[in-house]
Amino acid sequence: MLSRAASSLFWMARYLERAESQARQLDVSLNMALIDVPEDRTEQLSVPLLVSGTYDEFFQHHEEITPQNLIDFLLLDDQHPASVFNYIRNARDNALHVRGNLSADVWETINRAWLDLKVLQQEGVTESNASSVFDWIRERSHMFRGAAYGTLLRNDAFHFLRLGTIIERADTTARVLDIRHVMATKAMEEQATQSFFEWTALLNSLAAFEAYQNTYGHSLDPTSVAELLILSHELPRSLHSCLEEIAGLLERVESGSAQRARRMASSLYANIRFGDTAYIEERGLHDYLVDFLARIQRIAGQIQKDYMGWHQ
Amino acid sequence: MLIETPDAGLFDELFDKDNRVRPHCRMLEKWLLESDENLIAEKRREADVLFQRLGITFNVYGEDQGADRLIPFDLIPRIISASDWHKLQAGLRQRVTALNRFLHDIYHNYEIVKAGVISAEQVFANSQYQPGMQNLKLPRNLYSHIAGIDLIRNNDGDFYVLEDNLRCPSGVSYMLENRRMMMRLFPELFAHSPVAPVEHYPNLLGETLRAASLKANPTVAVLTPGRFNSAYFEHAFLARQMGVELVEGADLFVHQNKVYMKTTVGPQQVDVIYRRVDDDFLDPLAGNPSSMLGVPGLYAAYRTGNVVLANAMGTGIADDKSIYPYVPDMIRFYLSEEPILKNVPTWQCRKKKDLQYVLDHLPELVVKEAQGAGGYGMLIGPKASKKELETFRGLLKAHPEDYIAQPTLSLSTCPTFVDEGVAPRHLDLRPFVLSGKKIQMVPGGLTRVALKKGSLVVNSSQGGGTKDTWVLEDDLC
Repeated sequence: MLSRAASSLFWMARYLERAESQARQLDVSLNMALIDVPEDRTEQLSVPLLVSGTYDEFFQHHEEITPQNLIDFLLLDDQHPASVFNYIRNARDNALHVRGNLSADVWETINRAWLDLKVLQQEGVTESNASSVFDWIRERSHMFRGAAYGTLLRNDAFHFLRLGTIIERADTTARVLDIRHVMATKAMEEQATQSFFEWTALLNSLAAFEAYQNTYGHSLDPTSVAELLILSHELPRSLHSCLEEIAGLLERVESGSAQRARRMASSLYANIRFGDTAYIEERGLHDYLVDFLARIQRIAGQIQKDYMGWHQ
Repeated sequence: MLIETPDAGLFDELFDKDNRVRPHCRMLEKWLLESDENLIAEKRREADVLFQRLGITFNVYGEDQGADRLIPFDLIPRIISASDWHKLQAGLRQRVTALNRFLHDIYHNYEIVKAGVISAEQVFANSQYQPGMQNLKLPRNLYSHIAGIDLIRNNDGDFYVLEDNLRCPSGVSYMLENRRMMMRLFPELFAHSPVAPVEHYPNLLGETLRAASLKANPTVAVLTPGRFNSAYFEHAFLARQMGVELVEGADLFVHQNKVYMKTTVGPQQVDVIYRRVDDDFLDPLAGNPSSMLGVPGLYAAYRTGNVVLANAMGTGIADDKSIYPYVPDMIRFYLSEEPILKNVPTWQCRKKKDLQYVLDHLPELVVKEAQGAGGYGMLIGPKASKKELETFRGLLKAHPEDYIAQPTLSLSTCPTFVDEGVAPRHLDLRPFVLSGKKIQMVPGGLTRVALKKGSLVVNSSQGGGTKDTWVLEDDLC
């Protein structure tokens, strides 16, 4: 397939996944801010900014972090690239670029999300209706995935689209885990009730709370949470699941002489697949995740070099 | 709902001159009379939402991206009887065959010039003539693989060819989406009408493009100027429906006179390019040097015969207004047949006698620039002021060779939903004619309608809309 089309599909899917994840982060943070003691509210609300890497940028637009400011900035502000509005706009732009490779169902799902979002931007979102908007964003993402799974040929267009989704997801899981694990551990040292909420927030923002209960069936503890989010081969957002899919997709992608991304992904996958909690603890969770993030970003860069950055 | 009857003296597609419904349109009339206004209004809104959702919008250059516009879609179909279509089809086949023969001739043996049917000056001095196309052998001698022929129906009830479009005719996606929309909104209408299908157009187009190459299994691609082009939706739509790549200039490169796509697994050779980019922009090395839309070296690859362009370069000479008056003669010359479709009578001001006639009858005529397009530099006699008439009189005397003149034709009308209800509006018809191993077309084409009362301008850029076009499979209904 065309290199340009592969790139557009990859980014289209990345942006949509990012929009979904940002909606989840916002939803959880705003909820947590309600139950948190006032002095910790700002810390709660800053999580989505830290995950999206826009903490400094935020303060160029707003003086303090309030729920409404956060909603305005991360949801509908079109003046900076990290809003859901711009993620979906970019996704739609990329989709338009590859209309020829998309089924009508996939295209219409994305185009419709964009059309509705423009209306939403005009109407505005407040604290009181924010939750329903987060639900709506998640639903758009589910619909996109459903349409992609249900109607696309399992060819390279599909593979590159999935790669975009999963690489974004792996990146998000590692970032959220890194930031929220520290917060929850700190809370645990201070008071037990608050720590329950912190662990719940971490799991909820990765859609993993119910999965945790199902898997461990006992109270929340730091090691099990990290184990689930990194090593579980069952949890769809765990690093293990993500890398398994990335390595598998790169095996299936038709490949000329390019092999580097494939090798890098297989190596990282093997690392996680045969890893255990003892190793992670020895390394230190934070260092482990920092290293993981660097590697996943290198893989994403290599995919673009191997398949999309075209050299004659 | 009430249907406003047409103005006397105009040909209406639904009513005959005594305001009786034409037999083949009775089911449409029945449907209109039975339909409730509110329901129809609701369906119109539904259609708008669906078109927006599909992304069938066209961009207007210079407007911001949010301003994707919809071409107004009218819910009342335009019906063509089976017998009318039968004749149209034969006429279109004949005309397109002759036009392709003409193009081949003027780039090879110049028989028609030698025979004195058309003067050498009118062919070779025409700015649309591409000397670079001389003696280039094209597969099956085909130049215009995809032709869009604009037809109107005059007061006398006959179809006239207004214009041939042999370069990159567009609008076929509207034809297809209009049908899909009608079937979705009013399935019951189709259950009772023998409407000929059009949905297989992309299949025929694919077949035509593959036949444009002599290779057994050629790789076809659609070349688009990109997503900011007003017809981008159509380019993507056709590529997807045919299952071929939609490429932009930057996705292609030329190496040793062969054209390649840049793919995830390396270069892949392209054999046929269905290009929706104008001649001048195809290759910055050969045409407009500032073109970012083209592919450097494409022209050389084309000359070498390593890639087929559909349509060919240099087809503009055959749809030029100064050549148009000769099409009936071409048909006689190449095919030894009488033309089936009528041409609009045209006075060529370059000829002394014609010029005199035009000057004497200016208030009745339409004067057009011979090489102009899109209604610029045009005089509509009956609607012109005294001053405008005088200006044109001066222009005609100074540069007669730049102008042609035609009688003011009235386009036929068809009931159309407008703010006041259902009223007659003027329309034209653009069938799409595909030339490959044989000539093929789907029944009908794109019907454009002028939504303003009395207006004869059907262009979408000037407020025109479109209708679904129904060709009946038989008239016995």
